[in-house]
Amino acid sequence: MFRFLHSSDLHIGKRFGNMPEELRGRLREARHGVIDRLAAQARAGGAGTILLAGDCFDTETPSPAMLRQALAAMESHAPLRWIVLPGNHDSLQADELWAAARAALPAHVLLATDASPIALEPGIVVLPAPCTTRRPGRDLTDWLDSAATPDGSLRIGLAHGAIQSFGEDGIGLEIIAPDRAHRAGLDYLALGDWHGQMQIGPRSWYSGAPEPDRFKHDQPGRALLVSLAAPGAMPDVTPVETGSFDWRSLPLDLISGDDAAGLLAERLPLGPVRRQTLLRVIATGRLRPQARAALDAAAAHVAPEFAHLVLETEALATDCESADLDAIDRAGALRQAADLLLAESLDDHRPAGERQAARDGLVRLFTYCEAMPS
Amino acid sequence: MKLTALRLYNVRRFAGQGVAVEGIGDGVNVLCAANEFGKSTCFDALHALFFQPHTGTPGAVQALRPYSGGNPLVEADIATGEGAFRLTKQFYGGRRAMVRERGSGRIIAQADEAERFIARLVQGGTSGPAGLLWVRQGITGIERRSPKDEEGEKRARESVLTSVQGEVESLTGGRRMAQAVAACETELSVLVTATGRPKTGGAYAQAIEERDRLVETEKRLSAEVRELREALDRRRSLRTRLAALDDPDQQGMRLRDLFQAEAAWTTAKAQGEALKTADVEAALARNHLDAARQTLEIYRQNLARHGLLEAREADSLTQRDAAASQQREAREAGQQATRAVEEAEAAEREARDLLSRLEKSMQARAAAEQLARLQHDHARAEAGRVEVETIQAEVKALALPPGAVKQLEAAETALVGLRAAQTAQMPLLRVDYRAGALGTIGLDGVALADGEERALTRQATIEIEGVGTLSLTLPQAREGETGLAEALARRVALLAALGVADLAEARQRESALRDLSGRLDLARQRLTLLAPDGLPALREAIARLEAQSLAATEIKGDPEAVRGSLATAEARVTASRGAQRAAQSARDEAGAAVVAAERALASVTSERAGLVAVLGAADGRAAHEAQLANDLAQAEAILEAAQARVETLRASATDLAGAEAKFRRMRSVVDGAATEIASLREEAAELNGRIRARADAAVEEAWQEVLDRLAAAGTRLGSLEREVALLTRLRDALQTARTQARDHYFAPVMAELRPLLGLLFEGASVTFDEETLLPRTVSRNGLEEPVGLLSGGMREQLAVLTRLAFARLLAKDGQPAPVILDDALVYSDDDRIERMFDALHRQASDQQIIVFSCRQRAFAQLGGTVLRMVPWTPDA
Repeated sequence: MFRFLHSSDLHIGKRFGNMPEELRGRLREARHGVIDRLAAQARAGGAGTILLAGDCFDTETPSPAMLRQALAAMESHAPLRWIVLPGNHDSLQADELWAAARAALPAHVLLATDASPIALEPGIVVLPAPCTTRRPGRDLTDWLDSAATPDGSLRIGLAHGAIQSFGEDGIGLEIIAPDRAHRAGLDYLALGDWHGQMQIGPRSWYSGAPEPDRFKHDQPGRALLVSLAAPGAMPDVTPVETGSFDWRSLPLDLISGDDAAGLLAERLPLGPVRRQTLLRVIATGRLRPQARAALDAAAAHVAPEFAHLVLETEALATDCESADLDAIDRAGALRQAADLLLAESLDDHRPAGERQAARDGLVRLFTYCEAMPS
Repeated sequence: MKLTALRLYNVRRFAGQGVAVEGIGDGVNVLCAANEFGKSTCFDALHALFFQPHTGTPGAVQALRPYSGGNPLVEADIATGEGAFRLTKQFYGGRRAMVRERGSGRIIAQADEAERFIARLVQGGTSGPAGLLWVRQGITGIERRSPKDEEGEKRARESVLTSVQGEVESLTGGRRMAQAVAACETELSVLVTATGRPKTGGAYAQAIEERDRLVETEKRLSAEVRELREALDRRRSLRTRLAALDDPDQQGMRLRDLFQAEAAWTTAKAQGEALKTADVEAALARNHLDAARQTLEIYRQNLARHGLLEAREADSLTQRDAAASQQREAREAGQQATRAVEEAEAAEREARDLLSRLEKSMQARAAAEQLARLQHDHARAEAGRVEVETIQAEVKALALPPGAVKQLEAAETALVGLRAAQTAQMPLLRVDYRAGALGTIGLDGVALADGEERALTRQATIEIEGVGTLSLTLPQAREGETGLAEALARRVALLAALGVADLAEARQRESALRDLSGRLDLARQRLTLLAPDGLPALREAIARLEAQSLAATEIKGDPEAVRGSLATAEARVTASRGAQRAAQSARDEAGAAVVAAERALASVTSERAGLVAVLGAADGRAAHEAQLANDLAQAEAILEAAQARVETLRASATDLAGAEAKFRRMRSVVDGAATEIASLREEAAELNGRIRARADAAVEEAWQEVLDRLAAAGTRLGSLEREVALLTRLRDALQTARTQARDHYFAPVMAELRPLLGLLFEGASVTFDEETLLPRTVSRNGLEEPVGLLSGGMREQLAVLTRLAFARLLAKDGQPAPVILDDALVYSDDDRIERMFDALHRQASDQQIIVFSCRQRAFAQLGGTVLRMVPWTPDA
């Protein structure tokens, strides 16, 4: 029985420049802290080895501090054994990174920088396919088919890249054969690159990122605890939670007359998790102006409780009825202006930008009038 | 409300008196009077009555008071829907306000109640609708006025419009609209300037700056990342190349190749040297051969020559001997000829000697005769010479310097002139004795003759015989005296220099000199005849002749005979000498022949002797020649051998240049590899530094971060742009709506104004200002002009018409009020005034209009009720 933890795509050093200043540091720190969380899960699951299937580092030149602190963190969990595979973000082209890592390499960290078998212990061989460049342009796992291992050994493949159309950075030629595990007689193929956790075949898994870095996958950060009973036996794979921040999208499909603010309040997560949550509210459908203004206000009101909250309303249309306009004014110039803006926002002959401006202007006018003492 | 009468007392120029305007009717009323008749006073008083509280004394009230003081009183009769009333106000002393019913004379209200009554009539004073219907002289309501007045009038206009059109607020959105516009503009002003540009320091401008800054940063960082990646790639290729160069196998192979090439080159160099040596040896052998061949040839030539010379020597000997015998014969013939010559010459000498002596003897005789003659001449010449010398001495003694006599004469002449001049100046003393006078008169001791005149000098003593002396002292005429003294002195000096006593003596000496020189000439001529060459020559000739005559010896003989024998002797000599010359030339020829023969012999002999020395002994010559021939053959053999060796070497020589080139190439390959390794290592070190620096700075992380931030900044900028667009659109929409509402608001007054305007200005239309509620522009013939640019006349007409329009609005609203115009048409011409009055009459059908004007003529024909001022005294 061999048990190990399979993870990938730590992207240590990612700076999150698109996030607000105060959040960046926390997100960055969380990426570093994932090493500890992985080690904790490994220990909890009885695994002595952690396979990192590429993209440990976000760039080919992480700052020396970032690299050394990551290695030091790994070392601090001895005797846990770490096997680090270069991915497309930290490929073998990153001479400097790997040279520096080698120079400061702790005893329990192995760099899988050669496409050659690594005998972890008698009967257990790891067959790594390190990324040679950012875009190798070929299936680097080809060699696994013919990799010779002692009879009766566990063959564990370790690779990074896209299978079929899965890939974080678009599609290239470097597509790993989906049936590689079968063709190469692997007991397990540990894959990295896709940040969502996903099973490709009975013996092939993407572990997903242990700490998410985007809204795309709508999953918590996870790793895989893998147990291999014997050569040829089916692997026992268990997802384990490792994330610190939760990146979530909240779809809000609205119809005219909905109390959008109320709906939002119902669906928002509660309690202290908000601090660790990055939330993207995607409002779609149609909404009356007041409700729309209320939604904006509600989102703005609750936003500070979250690590990050954005309200996306590009796909949200505003429905106006005469009663809505009455809220502005029943007659007179204000009402005329509101009528004008409404007509403009619905006029299909106008450019989209003008319709948008008219729609926004009308909503804003509602906001003004709401705020006025009546 | 309508006015029916106006009365005032103690107002301004009407101090202590009063005037009344009675019978003001409906429609147009005209009070036409010349200036200073109190029209404006009436207007102001009426205005004060309606608009000034009786208790106050503001400027308008003060202005009513006469200069002499007093308490202005104003009274007006009015008619309203409620009845007819009389309003009275007195200011200052006894101030009061009172409203009475006209019919009954009952007091309806007094003091504050009266004020309230009046205020109700005009609805809020100057701010009320009625306030604006008063048009003061020169005030057209369009010119600038105090803000207070302006604001008051504006509110008045507003109230009229409000009363007919409803609350302006409900139309224009009012406060809510204002708040919305303000909120919108506040939000917008944070982002953009009035002209719509991003506002400096605002969020919009900051977002743009941030985006631009990030674009720049991204550009820089992406360049750095690119540079880093290039450096990494380059270093990788460097390392690959270095590994290949450093490979020991390849290095060994390169070195091996180098050594082989070097060995090959060395061999080739040695071969080259051997060939060079062989070449030199062959050249040497060829030289030897040439020398041997030449030696043999010369030896053979010398042998042939020697044979030839032997024959020639024998010939020469024979010739020489023949010449020697000829020479001997010639020598003997010569000696004989010489002897003959000597004999002939001796004879000739004798003959010549005899002849010579004979001739000398004859010459001595002739000389003695000559001597005697010369001695005689000499004696005479000696005497002549003495004579000449004597005369010369005399002449010398008498000689005068040339021109001396002339000078002396001139001095004398000058002296006489001077004396004459002096004498002419002197007083003259003339004595004329009377006949029979006994005594004489003497001057300075000299008796004077009768008729004698004497000049008197400075001192004169006249003795008159028998009488006494007469002493005269005369003043001396000074002039001339000095000149005379100088002339005297000059004459004395001349005389002394000449050594004569006076001029006469000088002339005497001159004549004596002339005689002597004549004699001297004669004596000299004589002497020249006797001794033409001078006495010394003469004496020499004498001495010579004396010597000749002493040496001569007397010889006797016939000179002719002697001369004949001499000629014979001379002929013999000549003949013998010719014979001797012929013998001599024969001897010379014989001698030359001998010399030539000897020389030819010597030449041949010496050449032969030289050849013998070269050729050696006669018996060894053949052997020597054979030896030389043998030497030649040997040299030929040696050359052949050397040439054969050269050919052999040349044939076997390798390509030296090729070998060297190959060696050098291999050398450069080895060196190049070393250089390349060094330079690659150097470049790698430099790249290491660069890569380390960039990598340590985590430039890729920074780049990724900036890319993310740039995207975020773009998003933010987009939302700000959207915000600006929405705010701009909203503001424009609000303003458009408000403007449209205002236009609607002005519609009623426009409706009233339009027909009035049509009377004066055909096809004209007016727009109103939203703020002032007054006409802003006038459009005529499609041309829109701001009111401020219109002519004064047009402006005042427009102002009046606007007021009429407002008055009609008021009337329609059930609050009719009189329109009072105080000389409001000062700029307008008569024609315009006429048309204006048409407008007024049209208006006045249901509107009271009171016109105060000084333009009597223009207004005379306008119709309407004509008002007059009549004296008035208030009831006690």
